[in-house]
Amino acid sequence: MIADLVISLVFIGYAISVLMGFGTILTWVERKQAAVMSDRIGANRAYIRIPGTQVKLVWLGLFHGMADGLKMLLKEDFKPRTYDWYAYAVAPWVVFTPVLLVFAVIPFGGSLTPARLWEPLSAFFGDKTWPMQIATLDAGILIVFAFSGLTIIGAMLAGWSSSNKFSLLGALRAGSQMISYELVLGLTVLGLILVYGTVNLDAMVRQQSGIVLGFLPAWGIVYQPFAATLFLAAAIAENKRIPFDLPEAESELIAGYFTEYSAMKMGLFMFAEFIEIAIIGALFTTLFLGGYNLPYMSDAGFAFPGGAAVAMPHGAVVVTQLGTFLLKVFLVCSFQILIRWTLPRFRYDQVLMFAWKFMFPLALANLCVTAVVVWAVRS
Amino acid sequence: MTDFLANLDTLLLWAFAGCAFVSAALMLVLRQPMRVAIALVSCMVFLGGVYGLLGLHFIAAFQVLIYVGAVMVFMVYAIMLLDPRDESGGEKFSKLLWPGIIGLSLLAEALAVGYWSDLPGAPRGAAGEPFDMVRFSAAFLSEYWLHFELTSVLLLAAVVAALAVIKENRRHDHG
Repeated sequence: MIADLVISLVFIGYAISVLMGFGTILTWVERKQAAVMSDRIGANRAYIRIPGTQVKLVWLGLFHGMADGLKMLLKEDFKPRTYDWYAYAVAPWVVFTPVLLVFAVIPFGGSLTPARLWEPLSAFFGDKTWPMQIATLDAGILIVFAFSGLTIIGAMLAGWSSSNKFSLLGALRAGSQMISYELVLGLTVLGLILVYGTVNLDAMVRQQSGIVLGFLPAWGIVYQPFAATLFLAAAIAENKRIPFDLPEAESELIAGYFTEYSAMKMGLFMFAEFIEIAIIGALFTTLFLGGYNLPYMSDAGFAFPGGAAVAMPHGAVVVTQLGTFLLKVFLVCSFQILIRWTLPRFRYDQVLMFAWKFMFPLALANLCVTAVVVWAVRS
Repeated sequence: MTDFLANLDTLLLWAFAGCAFVSAALMLVLRQPMRVAIALVSCMVFLGGVYGLLGLHFIAAFQVLIYVGAVMVFMVYAIMLLDPRDESGGEKFSKLLWPGIIGLSLLAEALAVGYWSDLPGAPRGAAGEPFDMVRFSAAFLSEYWLHFELTSVLLLAAVVAALAVIKENRRHDHG
C-alpha cells in the first residue's frame, strides 16, 4: 500500500519535472533553432558570472529561460478593472492545469520492478511490478480529449473577462478554432483505435513493439501515415501556434485573449503553450511512433526481424525506455518548432475553411477506409 | 497511515461528492450567467471524479468529454458572444415562477420515488468483471440507444425553451 503511494509519488514527480523541464528548454530551443534556421547566432546574452572573477558562463544562452522566469515573477502584476474578477483570476489556471493533467495517462516507460533494479529494494517493494504511467486508466485516450476540452473554456474565459475588445476577438477566434480542430483530432485518432482495438495507451504502445511486413516496426505511423500527418497538423492548430496562431496574431490583436494579463499570469499562458508542445510530442510518440520502445524492442529486450534476439537486464531496459521516450518527444517538439519557423500565417477564414472543408473530410475518408480495411482483414 | 491509505478512496469520494454538491447549489443560486456556467463546469468535473473513483473510467471520461468539452464549451461561447451584462436586477423571480415551482415539485417527487424504489441491478455480466470499453459499447448500443436518442430530443427541447425565455425578456425590453 505504502509502496504504491511511493511509486505514484515518484512517477508524479518525474512527470512534473519532465514537463517543466521541457517547457523551459523549449523556450530556449525555439529561439536557438529559429536562429540556426535563419543563419543567426540567437540567444547568447544572458549569462552568470562566477563571483569575484570575470568568467562569464553563457552556455549557448541556456540561461535565457531563467531570465525570462525571473522577469515574469518580478514584473508588476497589473490587474485591470474587469467586469468579472473571478473569471479573470481563474482563467490562466483553467488553461494551465489540464495541460499537465493530460500527461497522467501517457505511459513514459514499460514496466518497473524495483526489486530487479537493486536487490535491497525488494524488502520494501516486494516483487511487485508497476507500469510506468501515473494513472493506468483503461479510458486512456478519451481522458486526453476530455481534459483538452477544458483549455478551450479557459481561453474563452480569459478573453471574455478581460473587458477588452481585442481579448474578446481573440477568445472568439480561439474558441472557434479549437472546437473545429478538436473534432479533426478526434476523428484521426478513431482510425488508430480501430486498428489497435483499444483506447488504452499502454496497450497501444505494446502492440506497436511488434513487426509488420516482416521487417517494419509495427508503429502507428506505418499503419496510418495519413492520420499521423492530419493529427500533427490539427494538434498544432489546437495549440494555436504559427501557422494557426490567429487567436493571438500580434499585428491584428496585440496578444489576443491574454492581452490584459501581465507578469506570471501571462507566463502561465505562455508556459501552457510550451508544455503543450511537449504534450503533443508525447501523444504523437505514443500513438504513432512506438511510444517508449526502440524499434524491435520490448520489455524483454530486442527481437530483430531475422530471428536474432538480445536479452537485456531490467535496469538497462528501464533506462533505455525512459531515454527513448524523452528523445522521441524532443524530436517531435523540434519538428513542430521547425514548422513554426517555416510556414507563414493563414488568414482567419482560411483557418476555419482548412479545418472544415479540407481536414475534416480527409479525416472522415481516412476513417472510412480504415474501417473497411480492418473489417476485411479481420473477417 | 495504512488505515488512511485504505480509506483514501472513500475520503476522496466524499470530497468530490461534496464539491459537486456545492457547485451544483452555486449553479442554482448565482445570478450572473458566466459564473453559473463556471459552477456547472466544476460540478461536471467533480461528478467525473466521482465516477472515476467508482471505477467507471469510461463514464468519467465521457462525462467530462461530452458535458464539459462539448456542451459547456458551447454555453460559454454563447454567453461570451451574447455578453448579457444587464444586471436585470429589478425582478427577483421570472414570470414563470409558478410553472417553475410545479416543475420542481414534480422533479422532487420523481427523485424521491426513484430513491426509495430498489436500485436497478448492475449492468449484466459476471460480477467483478471490470466495466471496460467492450462491455460499455455493447450495453450502450444494445440497451441504451433509445434513451440516448431521447436525451437528444430533451436537449432540443431545452434549446427551444432557452430561446423562448430569451425572446420573452427581449419583448419585455422593447415594449
